[in-house]
Amino acid sequence: MVNFDTLEEWQTQTSLLLQARPTTTRISTKYNIPNLEAPRYNAAKKRKRDTEGKDGDAAPAPAVPRGTFTLKTFDPVSGATLKFKTDKSADVGRMVAGLGRAGRVMAALPEKAEAPDVAMEDAATTTGMTLAEASKDTSHTAPTESKPAAPAAAKKKKKGKK
Amino acid sequence: MASGHISNGEFFTQLASLIEKTQKKGHGSVHLTQKRLSYETTAAPSKDDPLADLNPAAPLPILVRVSDGNTQSQDRVKNKDPVKFATVVQADELETFFARYAEVCKVGMQSLRKRDRSKRKKTKKGGAKGAEAKG
Repeated sequence: MVNFDTLEEWQTQTSLLLQARPTTTRISTKYNIPNLEAPRYNAAKKRKRDTEGKDGDAAPAPAVPRGTFTLKTFDPVSGATLKFKTDKSADVGRMVAGLGRAGRVMAALPEKAEAPDVAMEDAATTTGMTLAEASKDTSHTAPTESKPAAPAAAKKKKKGKK
Repeated sequence: MASGHISNGEFFTQLASLIEKTQKKGHGSVHLTQKRLSYETTAAPSKDDPLADLNPAAPLPILVRVSDGNTQSQDRVKNKDPVKFATVVQADELETFFARYAEVCKVGMQSLRKRDRSKRKKTKKGGAKGAEAKG
């Protein structure tokens, strides 16, 4: 069993496991609010002798049960278990988005959503880069070669580069 | 399955009420499970073709189950009627389903730690997100 510290790690490992075993892998989500009256939360209080002297410390902490949200990917065939646990409500949206992404892999749909966006961004940045380079090239070549044939040469150079 | 699958809309109302019930009770769990619905499909791995499920011809539906985890009472006796329901999500409805799913979870799960707005530290998350967008 592996416990991950970040959601991203869990996400990548889960999608890898899903790609390998899409039929048997399942993803469970658990929302848990602990029962503060359960014996395991009250075990420490039984040691009277230690706490008797200092009453101030023995005052009960504000007993607000803190819920947790756990993601677990499990494949019964290989026995692989991947877990990620959080107690922040800010993570819930991202985690369910992760579930949705994993769901696409499960349903054998092609991964999308971000893929086209990234491609677009990349395309935009690369074209931007080439334009910048091109302008640089011309600015470099223009002052050194003042002959009328210069722009044509520069153009040829660029074509060769591409 | 004895009770059968319920529709997606019904599923969300039941899920919301289960989360609310747990929240009011003050303790307990809500279990959600999702897996590929491979029942009665040809794309199941077998001995002859152990990798048959890797590239199915058509997208498969997904089964989502919910339970409150109380399958046994405290003295290890089987719970006669546990809270348990399931729904099938078709591949083309996945996006809307998970959007609603996120909504129900965010609204219902009030015991999680809220974002601390009083003393805001330098947000690491913002940096991480920026890195993601770049890479």
